[in-house]
Amino acid sequence: MKKVLITDDAVFMRFSLKTMLERNGFEIVGEAENGSIAVQKYKILKPDIVTLDITMPVMDGLEALKHIKAIDKNAKVIMISAMGQEGIVREAIISGATGFIVKPFNEETIVKVFKKL
Amino acid sequence: MSGDGIIREPMLEIYLFEATQLMEQLEEISIECEKNKKIGTEAINEIFRIMHTIKSSSAMMMFNNISVLAHSLEDLFYFIRESKAINIDFEKLFDLVLLGIDFIKGEVSKIENDCNADGLSEPLVLKSSNLLQDMKKANGVIIKDDCQEKKEDTKYYISAYEKLGSEIKQKYFARIFYEDGCEMENVRAYTVVHNLKEIVSEMYHIPEDIIESDDSVEAIRRDGFLIGFSTSTSKEKIEEQLNGIIFLRELELQQVEEYPLEFKALKAKIQIILENPITEETIYKETPDKLDTNKEEVGNIIKSGKQQSIISVNISKLDMLLDLVGEIVISEAMVTKNPDLEGLTLENFNKASRQLRKLTNELQDVVMSIRMVPVSTTFHKMNRIVRDMSKKLNKEVELVIIGEDTEVDKNIIDHISDPLMHLVRNSLDHGLEDKEERIASSKPPMGKITLEAKNAGGDVFIIVSDDGRGLDRGKIYEKAKFQGLVTKPEGELTDKEIFSCILLPGFSTNESVTEFSGRGVGMDVVKKNIDSIGGAISIESVVGRGSTISIKIPLTLAIIDGLEVAVGTSKYTIPITSIRESFKPKENDVIADSEGNEMIMIRGEAYAIHRLHRIFNIDTEVISSNNGIMVMVEDNTKAACLFVDSLIGEQQVVVKALPTYIKKAKGIAGCTILGDGNISLIIDVNGILDR
Repeated sequence: MKKVLITDDAVFMRFSLKTMLERNGFEIVGEAENGSIAVQKYKILKPDIVTLDITMPVMDGLEALKHIKAIDKNAKVIMISAMGQEGIVREAIISGATGFIVKPFNEETIVKVFKKL
Repeated sequence: MSGDGIIREPMLEIYLFEATQLMEQLEEISIECEKNKKIGTEAINEIFRIMHTIKSSSAMMMFNNISVLAHSLEDLFYFIRESKAINIDFEKLFDLVLLGIDFIKGEVSKIENDCNADGLSEPLVLKSSNLLQDMKKANGVIIKDDCQEKKEDTKYYISAYEKLGSEIKQKYFARIFYEDGCEMENVRAYTVVHNLKEIVSEMYHIPEDIIESDDSVEAIRRDGFLIGFSTSTSKEKIEEQLNGIIFLRELELQQVEEYPLEFKALKAKIQIILENPITEETIYKETPDKLDTNKEEVGNIIKSGKQQSIISVNISKLDMLLDLVGEIVISEAMVTKNPDLEGLTLENFNKASRQLRKLTNELQDVVMSIRMVPVSTTFHKMNRIVRDMSKKLNKEVELVIIGEDTEVDKNIIDHISDPLMHLVRNSLDHGLEDKEERIASSKPPMGKITLEAKNAGGDVFIIVSDDGRGLDRGKIYEKAKFQGLVTKPEGELTDKEIFSCILLPGFSTNESVTEFSGRGVGMDVVKKNIDSIGGAISIESVVGRGSTISIKIPLTLAIIDGLEVAVGTSKYTIPITSIRESFKPKENDVIADSEGNEMIMIRGEAYAIHRLHRIFNIDTEVISSNNGIMVMVEDNTKAACLFVDSLIGEQQVVVKALPTYIKKAKGIAGCTILGDGNISLIIDVNGILDR
């Protein structure tokens, strides 16, 4: 089972994503509520896939992505963005994000994306 | 939440929980910012994030009216943040935000009560976008478009990685269609271009402008994303890479001799910009373990919502847990104090049962502590009321909160919120004078309401005080007499007793009924609420200086320390917290008045006697005073003596409510099962003394 680390400052979003992923054969090894915690947990948990929300306190998704990519350049990172964040997502792509999902998403979307990773 | 036992789908439960929490945080921040007439960067970011979160989660849960409203408010604060606007009408802004909060809270409440969240947010959304327009005009700033960034010079490029001659390059044509609804197709196309860059020597694409133009999204949805490129990488590898595209619906990939006609037009416009093979990127060092966070006055407000290592538990589970622990305490007593064991010497058993007792006590303590929550949330809710009312009544008021970390059982918190609100409203409406009057009485123009919580013994005290005009003893007595609520002459009543008249039903000295209070249904409901959780209210006041209302509530309803007493063959439990002392009376100390009411003199003061056997109609042989025991008890206003047969002992007792098929008996607060299996009724001291 592929191991996933979920990052979002909203409890609800983490819970939704976790539920959808677990239902489809992924193991959630950790949750982080901001980018800084995500980076720290990444180092410890070494997940196969990381999801990063973009807007978060302390450290946002874009910065966390850069840190994670510095730790492991082959890290698979999916950005969770909202409409209107095209610029940030583009920067994320340049910084090595594997892909992105736009909120709000549903289980079908999650399956389509994650089965390709 | 689902207090009536309805178990909701966890996702909805979490949505409601988080939405409520975020609205509370937002309200706090808003009121604070409005008061200080400034918004710090922390606050802007926090408000933005809250709106952003509500927008997304509401959309996920299909509560679109909430999502749209959150979106419009998010836009407002996005503007404020990006433009660093300084010309802000704080009152208008936060009036709107607070209205938005009220709307969302309203919808959440509907959902919690299994109704449809059918509120219309359009009016507020409109207000919001109008305010945004006004703000833009007032600040004359052009917003940086989120999409605007440094132009990528390489729309089409020739890679500097031209491998010197060795491999043969092939031209390819690809058309990519994305899944419906995946959004931001232009950025997805950009991803493809970005990833192909590594392995192609030239690349052209249609639409050309996938960075600045929003039209490209439509074009890609309609015709697909077309790419023409030249590479030495094998077709299999290209196909593999392109098939890995996220949200790919359809891929057309062909090897071509020449690029299709559409691309010829592009080539003619080509600008050759050599790409720098070494892309500049900030080298990211290992993350420092401690991050510098810049928290301003918003910091302590955020703290309550952002704690780690905390899980949220359904309240009904906690109730079950506490019930079970209560049962265990009773069972433990039934085992260790079993009548079968009477007279036996059981050293090992006693040792073991002491250990068991120790453990059940610990378990009990832990479970009770789980249910304890600080009063801070309830106290902070009052900020909103003070803010709204002081505006409406045109009074300047400051709310001071002391001891907000004091903890109280969750059950109890739910019951003090409404009474507190009423008391605060009263202070604002009737207690505090307006500015002119205050200045005329040499008081500071700003009125002060203090909310204090503190622990004392087995109780928690919640105190609401104001520095307003205070209570008029004479006026209250007159009104009470007029309503037939008092019979004694004024001189015989203490201040406390007279002031407590305002807690009686139907009492109100207000000539005019205001929007907030004055119908005389308020204070007695407050008293009822407080009584229902075993608490007591007492009122103190000094005319012209202010009033203080003290609410005493037990730490927990569930388990109390009690004194077991016997009356006939029945057993009663008197809460230790109500007991002042107990003693064996002498016959001569007991005196009766003309109506047969008995009294006893203790240290020069007279106390009424309540004979439990008479009150509860119990057969007992202990009639004459010197055969029984007097237990002096007190409630919020007075003390009296209860006459019982004998004292049995101190006992920790699990309070069980009287079963619903038994009508509420005045003087009985509940019941419990003793270690020997007998039932003991728990005395409600307030009820007895009120007789």
